[in-house]
Amino acid sequence: MVELARKPAVLEVPATLGALGEIAEFVLRLAARARLGTGATYRIRLAVDELATNIVMHGYRGGEGRITVLGRSGPDGVRIVIEDTAPAFDPVAGRLPPPPGIPPERRRVGGLGIHLALTSVDEYTYVRRDGRNISTLTVKAEGTDDVCPPRP
Amino acid sequence: MPLSVSLSIEGDTTVIELTGELDAKTAPEFHQTIEKAAGHGTSTVEIRMAGVGYMASAGLRSLVFAQQKVADHVTIRVVGAIEPVSRTIRTAGLDRSIQLSDD
Repeated sequence: MVELARKPAVLEVPATLGALGEIAEFVLRLAARARLGTGATYRIRLAVDELATNIVMHGYRGGEGRITVLGRSGPDGVRIVIEDTAPAFDPVAGRLPPPPGIPPERRRVGGLGIHLALTSVDEYTYVRRDGRNISTLTVKAEGTDDVCPPRP
Repeated sequence: MPLSVSLSIEGDTTVIELTGELDAKTAPEFHQTIEKAAGHGTSTVEIRMAGVGYMASAGLRSLVFAQQKVADHVTIRVVGAIEPVSRTIRTAGLDRSIQLSDD
């Protein structure tokens, strides 16, 4: 179990590619507060970035919407919750690992972002509740310094 | 952090140098540069990435696009990528068709 701050930091942004930088800064601040190593910091940033990008591009399909990011940091790691009100989408069900044996130029890269996200974190859960997609991502601090993303 | 992209020709090699962060917001600029580089018709396209501190899957998509745009005999080389970036490239299996080198 990861020990975390009781009160989360909250960021709410419009679902646009222009907001990705703000989301990244928010995540990097939490990672710094938790004193995560560079590998773990990269992993949580990549995971949140990929899921947020997916919400912008495919969730709201370029239309208007909001993304709420809640983050808690503690001595053991960082937990980030990403919420949106786009149509239901479970990233675990939509995940596409790179298929072996198919040349890269013939592969669909689209699902790869989600694959990168889910293999970069230590814990991931998805729920659909009250019309919202809720993803919870955790990266642990211990033993993560030498681990770079994404892990197999 | 924004992305800066430069394009030059050194002998028979087209060089794309990237500095900054490569995500869904910044990748289109890389994409456009690849389009220009493919038009040069050199035998090698070298993408220098030592200055890239972060790359999301949008960057992978650009690399796949590069493979599709250049002729079959053209070598694409990614040079100087930091470990998490080159690991992302390997995870996608792109290291089988794109050369990864330290320098």
